[in-house]
Amino acid sequence: MPETFSARLARHCGLGLLILIACFALLGPALIGIDPATQSLGDSLLPPGASHWLGTDVYGRSVLARIAHAAQLSLGLALLAALSAALPGVLTGVTASWCGGRIERGLVMLADACMAVPGLLLVLLFAAIAPGQYWALYIGLALSLWVEYFRVTRAASRPILHGDAVQASRLLGFGKLYVLRRHVLPALTPLLATLLPLSAAQAVLALAALGFIGVGLQPPTPELGVMMIEFFPFYSEAPWLIAAPVTLLILLVLGMMLLAGDKELT
Amino acid sequence: MSSTQTSAWRGLLLRRAIQVLALLLIIGSVCFLMVRALPGDMAMRIAASRYGYDFVGSAAASAVAQELQLQRPLWQAWLEWLGQLLRLDLGQSLVSGEAVWHEMAHHLAASLDLAVTTLILAMLIGLPLGVAAAVRPGGVADRIALLFAVVLRATPAFLLGILLMLLLAVHWGMLPAAHDDQGGTLWLPALTLALGLAAGLARISRSAVREALASPACEFARSKGLSDFQALLRHALPLAALPVLAYLGVHLVLLVEGTVVVESLFAWPGVGHALVHAVFARDVPVIQGAALSMGLLFILFNLLLDALMLAIDPRQRKPGASDA
Amino acid sequence: MNADLILEASGISVHAGSQRLLRELSFTLRAGEVLTILGESGAGKSLLADALMGNLPAGLVAGGEVCIQGQRSAARDARARRPLWGRKIGLLPQEPSLALNPVRRVGSQLEEVLQLVRGLPAHAAAEQSAAQLQAAGLSASGAQYPWQLSGGMAQRAVASMALAGGASLLIADEPTKGLDAHWRDHVTGMLRTVAETGGAVLLITHDLRVAEALGGRLLVLRAGELIEAGEMADILRAPSHAYTRELIAADPAHWPVRQAPVSGPLIVQGRGLSKAFNGKSLFQALDLDLHAGERFVVQGPSGTGKSTLGNVLLGLLRPDAGSVIRAPGLATTALQKLYQDPVASFPPRQTLGSSLRDACQLHGEAWSALQGRLERLKIDASLLTRRPSQVSGGELQRIALARVLCARPALLFADEPTSRLDPLTQRQALELLGDAMDESGAALMLVTHDEDIARVFGQRQQVFAAH
Repeated sequence: MPETFSARLARHCGLGLLILIACFALLGPALIGIDPATQSLGDSLLPPGASHWLGTDVYGRSVLARIAHAAQLSLGLALLAALSAALPGVLTGVTASWCGGRIERGLVMLADACMAVPGLLLVLLFAAIAPGQYWALYIGLALSLWVEYFRVTRAASRPILHGDAVQASRLLGFGKLYVLRRHVLPALTPLLATLLPLSAAQAVLALAALGFIGVGLQPPTPELGVMMIEFFPFYSEAPWLIAAPVTLLILLVLGMMLLAGDKELT
Repeated sequence: MSSTQTSAWRGLLLRRAIQVLALLLIIGSVCFLMVRALPGDMAMRIAASRYGYDFVGSAAASAVAQELQLQRPLWQAWLEWLGQLLRLDLGQSLVSGEAVWHEMAHHLAASLDLAVTTLILAMLIGLPLGVAAAVRPGGVADRIALLFAVVLRATPAFLLGILLMLLLAVHWGMLPAAHDDQGGTLWLPALTLALGLAAGLARISRSAVREALASPACEFARSKGLSDFQALLRHALPLAALPVLAYLGVHLVLLVEGTVVVESLFAWPGVGHALVHAVFARDVPVIQGAALSMGLLFILFNLLLDALMLAIDPRQRKPGASDA
Repeated sequence: MNADLILEASGISVHAGSQRLLRELSFTLRAGEVLTILGESGAGKSLLADALMGNLPAGLVAGGEVCIQGQRSAARDARARRPLWGRKIGLLPQEPSLALNPVRRVGSQLEEVLQLVRGLPAHAAAEQSAAQLQAAGLSASGAQYPWQLSGGMAQRAVASMALAGGASLLIADEPTKGLDAHWRDHVTGMLRTVAETGGAVLLITHDLRVAEALGGRLLVLRAGELIEAGEMADILRAPSHAYTRELIAADPAHWPVRQAPVSGPLIVQGRGLSKAFNGKSLFQALDLDLHAGERFVVQGPSGTGKSTLGNVLLGLLRPDAGSVIRAPGLATTALQKLYQDPVASFPPRQTLGSSLRDACQLHGEAWSALQGRLERLKIDASLLTRRPSQVSGGELQRIALARVLCARPALLFADEPTSRLDPLTQRQALELLGDAMDESGAALMLVTHDEDIARVFGQRQQVFAAH
């Protein structure tokens, strides 16, 4: 399907936004050169200024430095979780529709079973096993995200694998690899290009939400949700504090949504 | 025909029954791991939460460890744990000592209140907007729906909640989360949850109604003499109801996830709120009970939607349609 | 003036901006008459129907004047004719099974017309609806859903609904598309009844045989221009325009019978083949031998198992009983297939050239050999830079033929390869297919619903009857 001009523009905007945030996350900590954990109680709640562009929090820590680290954390963990969910999800999805029969039924049942637990709940429970640990959150995220890849991949590859084009190719003598390369992958690529940013956005949000309600990563980790709850009490004295993580989160999610495109994957 | 109908119902119930079992297995196992993760520390914390930090000694902690049978072999304890779960024995809260089922009952009622209000609100906002947008593409309703969707799609319940709270806090100089009397605060968390869902519903109902209006069935309805409005009411809307319900089915999970965050945010005494509190207190039986309640509620809602779709769409009852 | 004048179209034209899609056209239609508009796709037949109804797609403007039972309006004033829908003009949709609402019962879809359009009170509408369904032979279908009806039943249900509002002018737009002889006769019978009971029928079709069966008057359109007009019988006897002659010649009923080739050694053998689908037996204990060079045609209505038989012989489906034996020494790729929808038989995101190159490479054929074959199949090399969806159906089917010939097939199973093509294109494609088969000496198994094609093509026929 040809993409309209505005759809392509939106995707490019999203990609640009994400590249900017990624640069900030990767280069920011080095360029700012301030340890996000360094407290300086004398500099508590400084307004934005030359030495601290985004001001300081109640412990006098540089908000800009903390935000940069938080961006690194959110982006990194979300990408890692999305990618490690994509691999098994796509593989099982294609396997299910290729093999059919008992294998497919079994995999569908497994996916159904995983879908019984709402994603965020699963992440929360894993986070509760090992409070404040990255690996627990990562496993929870990856486990809750893979089903979507399975569902979409299976639904997309089924009609292709059972369709005339693949039958014709097989009759002509082409092998399984050819079918994967020429028929299945080209159809999956645009879907994955939409699904990857969507599930990364889901992961970013889950991370922040859990941090915000206090059951995700724990202070003093510079994480967006944790920072929001730290900054919340100062919304009237220092509104720029809470504005920083909220803005970054909105931009991150917006960038991913734009990159994913406007299509509903339902 | 009636036999294929019952088989469609049976398949549907079977699928959800398997999900209930899977839910018990997954949540039970994760909670079991939770108990095992930090036994010593946990016994200490449980004892502390019961008796207060000043009175905790190692004796009290080991008593707790004894009570929870924290010293048995892993697999045996795991099977025992799941067995208890299968007997629907959720145990007592480690903090209050009350039966978990009993404690969950009133949290569930509160969550149900919130969820149902949210759904009604979302449909009241989203569906008329979507239908109006579909009937006049490019009209006022269409523009509002588009703006609504663009702004709210990228703003999930969690962010919307924070923004709403900030707005209200700055505007009214108070935190809505601060007061706890029920009736007065229900609308805020419900609105927070509903807006995002309504935006999605408006979008999907717009496209579903447009597609239905352009379908050969609707064209034929008009060409056989029905007015545009009659064709919309009698043909387009029943056809469009199916994709809208399917959308709700897929996005129900957002509602459930949203309740965890929004309930905590607005201190709504529902299951999500209880869950987060139990995580703080490491009150594993309550964590398990709350997670199970949420999961069961989710599966129940899904079942209701399935049933509704089966009732509306006779095609799903024809043989061979179940694997679609 | 004339009481029985039902439709008077004067100077009807259709424009898209400054581009003319349909040139001014005038005709009248009286009660009891049938008028057929004949033409290939792109001739502007459907535009004419849309212009008369006032249902043109956005961006197209109609010119001229329409008078329906004394109600005169400018053709561009589509809104003026909207109140006439159902009450004066009925439209028989192309695909009746899609025109019925799948989530509502058949009876209620007829009842609502009687109630809302005809203005009958609820109980009278219910009675009348039951009576009309019975008259159409659908007495048991009122409580059924559309997908529970057969194609012919849906066709009858749709016809009663289209006329239930009291319309005396029935516009039928390609009502026989994709139907076999059995259902085609059914539809023509139904249209004739409408005319005989005082209605007027405007038939739009590309199928000369329907037109011939209905009789009446005929207008031949090509590329938006009127080519020929007059009484059906006169035109068929002595067409004055070359294009009309071509169209008549392209009707499979008028094709010359193809020379039967010499058959060679045995290629595939079916022994005791049986297959059932959804509990319905398609064929049972069937014995079948296919020899090189042979033309074997399987003919019958849709859904009777013709394609299934081919798929079983090719090893794509497992028979419920019996076995398929291939001649020893046959390459695994010696059995090939042409599909009904050629677009779906190519990888959609790959250019045709690269698909063909892959096939050449796999079978060790020189690219120049393939190019030569494309030339003989009258395919322009520039088409190869396109994707499957960007090429016309006739061209793509010939490219598909060029592709399967890479595998040097011993048997080609062609599954309704031309049923979606216009008559002229169909004739060309089938002739080229026959020539290519003659040249390669391969056996051809052709599946068709068209009894005329079966007659001219088949050296041996297997007829599948409607169940």
